[in-house]
Amino acid sequence: MPVPGPAPAEVPARRAARRFAEVVCPPEVRADQRADRVLGQFGLMLGSLPPAARTALAAALVLLDQGARLYPPSRGRRFARLDDPVAAAYVRALLARQGTAASMVRRLKGFIAMCYYDLPEVQREIGYDPAPYIAAVSRRRLESYGPQIRAGEAAAFIPGTRPSVTGPSVAGPADGQEP
Amino acid sequence: MISGLSTQDDVAGDLSLECGAVIVGSGAGGATVAAELAEAGVDVIVLEEGGYHPTESFTAGTGRALRTLYRDGGGGLAIGRPSVLYAEGRCVGGSTVVNGGMAWRTPARVLQRWAEQEGLRAISEQDLDPYFTVIESRLSVGLQDPETIGRDSGLFRSGAEARGWNVIPNRRNQLHCAGTNNCSSGCPSGAKRSMLVTSVPRALAFGARLFADCRVDRITRSGPGVTGVSGHVVRPGGRKGPRLTVRARTVIVAGGAVQTPALLMRSGLRPASGRLGRGLSLHPNAVVTAFFDEDVTGWQGVHQAYQVREFLAEGLLLTATNLTPPMLAAILPAHGRELGELMAGYNHIVTAGPLVEDTGTGRVRNLPGLGPQVFYQLTDRDAARVVRGVELTAQALFTAGARRVLLPFDGAPVVRGPDELRRLLARPVPRRSLQLFSIHLMGTARMSEDPGRGVVGSFGEFHGVPGLFVTDASVFPGPIGINPMETVIALAMRNARRLIERRGRLGI
Repeated sequence: MPVPGPAPAEVPARRAARRFAEVVCPPEVRADQRADRVLGQFGLMLGSLPPAARTALAAALVLLDQGARLYPPSRGRRFARLDDPVAAAYVRALLARQGTAASMVRRLKGFIAMCYYDLPEVQREIGYDPAPYIAAVSRRRLESYGPQIRAGEAAAFIPGTRPSVTGPSVAGPADGQEP
Repeated sequence: MISGLSTQDDVAGDLSLECGAVIVGSGAGGATVAAELAEAGVDVIVLEEGGYHPTESFTAGTGRALRTLYRDGGGGLAIGRPSVLYAEGRCVGGSTVVNGGMAWRTPARVLQRWAEQEGLRAISEQDLDPYFTVIESRLSVGLQDPETIGRDSGLFRSGAEARGWNVIPNRRNQLHCAGTNNCSSGCPSGAKRSMLVTSVPRALAFGARLFADCRVDRITRSGPGVTGVSGHVVRPGGRKGPRLTVRARTVIVAGGAVQTPALLMRSGLRPASGRLGRGLSLHPNAVVTAFFDEDVTGWQGVHQAYQVREFLAEGLLLTATNLTPPMLAAILPAHGRELGELMAGYNHIVTAGPLVEDTGTGRVRNLPGLGPQVFYQLTDRDAARVVRGVELTAQALFTAGARRVLLPFDGAPVVRGPDELRRLLARPVPRRSLQLFSIHLMGTARMSEDPGRGVVGSFGEFHGVPGLFVTDASVFPGPIGINPMETVIALAMRNARRLIERRGRLGI
């Protein structure tokens, strides 16, 4: 799978992935090398997918790239070589379609968008900054309920809290009884 | 390092182990059985394919969580029309580490149906009550502290109640939950009483051994019975490490409704019923995205604080579930500048939706070179239920003050009010356009006392293979319509009790 990892001279699939990210992510993806980091995240994500899904998404990228040649406004160019308006129109047309190929492109779009919005600075821009919040409410929890929490945590380790009855309807014999 | 716990870092060469009972999987089923057996003095080994990730390692990073805590990056796909995205945990503690922490007893009507249809023993409400009582004490099941409930949950509740619907507070396995809203990426405060912080350390404290990063490839057999399992250590990046062999007279499989049947099939087990891998239910979910004028900041405070139970008789459960920005961006029907504009309103969004008690079924198959693959066919009836659940959810959100909603149907326009919603849904919604996902997979190694109908018996014993047991959601004979974790744990505890009573006969 050629997408993950840095590539000084970008291979076609990576070029297509970059172009796709530039189209499906908000315009700010072109700032501060965000596209590179999105592709880095995307590569990691692909690496965690099952082989079938990885293959399917890789195939979707190739189809996306080469399929653009059949899109009349592209005048025979691959997706990676389209200018912005044509690339955007091509992706819009693909996403509006039904069928397996369109479904794969939608999934690809979902993965890329997910990677973009996993960038911390992008999250801060939309008002999502969970780390300080998590620290504050975790602290509040301990201050408010410390003794109860310690008692509850200990309860998970108390021996012998298994139910003492299984009831007569747990039919069938135990050891020493007839089967 | 915790006593009794080993990871791939601790294994340099091939491993050959011996024990009384080997358990495959450390989630709700596996960890529970492990703790019970270890406490009773059984020599237990637990093998977990995923890694060990302690509470201190959990952050709000969605991508990192998907890669480290979930199988296949959370990107499972049940192929069908429509396909259904699904996610399963793969880490020490299993899916309990990444679920929402909802803890509900099995509905009595479901238990009654199972008993009647499958002849199951000891599965009435009264039979399971003692187990539920212990579980709820040990896992601190209860209601949220009020200060931790998010505004998104409050809005959804207000909309539902204004429509006169039955809304109940959710019961969760949490010990004074802080409301970090980080359930699906691992609870960073440890308040969620997942198996990672309860039954796994309990099992270890009673002498069990747990090997993380160990994948079981096969159950080994001799004659009609089992002799253990074989597999390999999983190195970083999924590379295959040293070989692993565990000899045991009892094998307990608890890998979940996809991996359990896949392992059993890989091991050449073919129950007479032909039901192994079949009968998959998955409680399809859909997400309605609503935009409010007010600042909701739904990521502050626990999600799913309430459930709308008004439509349970129709097989519908409604709830508000906040999605992190990456998860939301992945499903929004927009891209480019439009996606940016929608996401800019992230703090004004409430996401909610239905969970459907499905009537359709699917199948798990091992495909050569690809491994387990899930196939699922949504029925027309269930598709209609999804649409109905989406409509009800949108109605509640509009009643709560939403200005516009996005529906989980491919190509659906933005809906700006109840009238538009009614007009839109007056036309049929194509089944294949539904955007569905699932986190509740069940039923691929179903319980039945009749070997001609099921894969395992009342207590998880595999029909016709002495010493082999299954105890996870795959044994459910059908969907249960609510969150399944507590049912899995109760059945595991009950099955463990049965094993302990028969330990002499089993040789453990």
